[in-house]
Amino acid sequence: MIPVELYILLSSIMFTLGLYGLVTQRNGIKLMMCIELLLNSANINLVAFSANQPNANGQVFALFSIALAAAEAGVGFAILISLYRLYGTIDLDNINALRW
Amino acid sequence: MFSDFAYLIVGLPVLAFVLCLFFGWHLPRGGGFMTALATFVGLIISWGIYKEMPALPNGILHQSMPWFANFNVGILVDPLAISMLLMVTFVVTLIHTYANAYMDGDPGAARYFAEAALFTASMLGLIYSDNLLQLFIFWELVGLCSYLLIGFWYRKPSAAAAAKKAFLTTRVGDVLFLLGIVLLYNNMASLNLHLAPGEYLLQFPVIYKYLALIPPTQLTFIALCLLGGAVGKSGQFPLHVWLPDAMEGPTTVSAMIHAATMVTAGVYLVARMFPLFYAAPNALTVVALVGAFTALFAATMGLTSFDIKRVLAFSTVSQLGFMMAGLGVGSVVGAASVGISIFHLIGHSFFKALLFLCAGSVIHAVGTNDMREMGGVGKYMKWTAYTMLIGGASLAGFPLTTGFFSKDEIIVTAYEYGLAQSFIPYLFLVLAAILTAIYTFRLWFVAFTGEPRSDYHKHESPWLMLGPLCILAVFALGFGIVAQGGFYEYVGTNFDHYGVDFAELGIIGGHVHGEEITGAEEVTEEGGVAKEGIVGEEGKVTREEEPSEPWYIQILPIIIALGGILVAALFYYLHKFDPSMVTSERDPIRKILLKGYYQHEIYTQWFAEKVIYGTSIVCNMIDIKIVDGALNWISEVLVAFGGGVRKVQTGVVQNYITAVMLGVVVLVVVIEIALQVGFV
Repeated sequence: MIPVELYILLSSIMFTLGLYGLVTQRNGIKLMMCIELLLNSANINLVAFSANQPNANGQVFALFSIALAAAEAGVGFAILISLYRLYGTIDLDNINALRW
Repeated sequence: MFSDFAYLIVGLPVLAFVLCLFFGWHLPRGGGFMTALATFVGLIISWGIYKEMPALPNGILHQSMPWFANFNVGILVDPLAISMLLMVTFVVTLIHTYANAYMDGDPGAARYFAEAALFTASMLGLIYSDNLLQLFIFWELVGLCSYLLIGFWYRKPSAAAAAKKAFLTTRVGDVLFLLGIVLLYNNMASLNLHLAPGEYLLQFPVIYKYLALIPPTQLTFIALCLLGGAVGKSGQFPLHVWLPDAMEGPTTVSAMIHAATMVTAGVYLVARMFPLFYAAPNALTVVALVGAFTALFAATMGLTSFDIKRVLAFSTVSQLGFMMAGLGVGSVVGAASVGISIFHLIGHSFFKALLFLCAGSVIHAVGTNDMREMGGVGKYMKWTAYTMLIGGASLAGFPLTTGFFSKDEIIVTAYEYGLAQSFIPYLFLVLAAILTAIYTFRLWFVAFTGEPRSDYHKHESPWLMLGPLCILAVFALGFGIVAQGGFYEYVGTNFDHYGVDFAELGIIGGHVHGEEITGAEEVTEEGGVAKEGIVGEEGKVTREEEPSEPWYIQILPIIIALGGILVAALFYYLHKFDPSMVTSERDPIRKILLKGYYQHEIYTQWFAEKVIYGTSIVCNMIDIKIVDGALNWISEVLVAFGGGVRKVQTGVVQNYITAVMLGVVVLVVVIEIALQVGFV
């Protein structure tokens, strides 16, 4: 039985990587991928705690979360395609019409 | 049965107004016959009500229905109102008939008759309103009609200016009137009266009933405010300036609104609220002084004017002053003064409407208002000349005409007032009466006698115009001698129908002392019949002894009238003297009179342009710099703050993420510390 701390360590590393990518990257697609990393690190936590205890709630919740992530990715990519049609780029540094 | 149709007195002219407004264009003479007919039916109904009134409860006709909150709409016909109703419907019917000929051919005839019908409706409504608020509404309506009709020839700049002047000047009085109503309402409301169903706070009977409970200082304030309204409407000094200018309207308008009916509304208001004024003697003194001063002041200006209508307008102002003074001296004779004043009001309506209509007839023929261009008109317009002579004699107070009886009574009452309080009103009124006789006959002699001074159309007016003249002439001549005693009795006892106790009000006012009251009551108890037999024109309450004026006071008005006419005849008919012997073009007094004491200049150039404009500039500065300035400063600060804060919105997603992250970190740290310390 793998101790639960290792799962938490794994999810922490994934979360930090995702966050790092989110802050440093400029490409829209890469940002989407980083967000997926964040979500999945949370999913790992849910499943790990659920498996550690005799309780399936967390795993069911992880399934919800995956479905949610799929929907979020769909909306996100649709926005990115629109942006690309409008600006000819998906570099988010150049897309700042809503700033002050 | 006529009483049930009292509402039609206002209703029919309103109907005529609507019909003339929408269909007058297609009817002959602008549909003027409808306006005349509606008013005539009003006259018939009024007469019917007059006949039925003694049989009604309290001898008055009172119908009312709730309106909203503490207010009602209603009809109140008492002797005071019915005499006004009969006079207005009668005179206005004749004027409408005359106007049918006078306005014939004017492209705006339909508009004229529509507005005239609206005016008739408002005036009649004003007279028989049963509460002060409703009266005020009609009061404003007649003001509106006056504005519309003065500016009837609105393409003429002077007419438009005169209409505006009339509207604005009377507005000053109306604001005071409204203030008076509000004050009265507040005072009545603060009494916490338990009113019977159907009684409302501003109804006249209710006001009369609970008047004595209002504090005297408040009463004086209210009375002065109401007087302010009356001063504006009735053209009293210092708000009379609009009335001479109002002659820019058609002559029928001058006759109807600015001589016979609307301008008397102010006098009617004071008469209607007389118990209130009686309980506030200071206000009553002001009424007497304002009236007497106006009478003299306007008469002097009437002496020099060359415009035939302006002379009559000044004389209207002057005669209204007589009526006001007649009410004002009421502190010595009590409610009888209402009878005296209203008698003069009604007599004045007859002869002044007559004079204006005659002047209209002359203007219609000659085509100018300027007396200097007339001369000898009497040769070609016999009917007009003689009816105008009758009107002039009545105005001048020639013995046995209507004006003689009514004016005489006011002057004699002013003498009694002089014995009791002050001779100033008496003095003013006597001087004014002399001047009245002089300027009236100056007008007549200059216009109707001598040789023609210009080339004008020498023809008599149509019979549709002369008929009303003749009827009015009969009344101007005979009304006084027929009606005098009975009329004083009838209107003077108006307030007895409401059980107004003038003795009690006199004690509040402080001008009737306790012992006199007991005396008066004794007289009343001992034999009301005997007393009425001796002094028919008096109410029950007032003079406890008949003051016997010396014979020279009694006949003074006759001497005044004849003397004035003689002076005018010497100057302008017999040419024994020439006006240039007394005065010349460069005479400063004459110049002042001709300019109307420079009042127009004082009001416009000094008061309006300097004082009001200066004040406006200061107010404008305060508004822009301080009021607006504070607001602008607040908004500027907020905008600057927002401008600083919005820099946070960089549009770079990474910055937002960093901020969220930092926020979460801070939150976690805070929670951790809180857990460690043990706050949570």
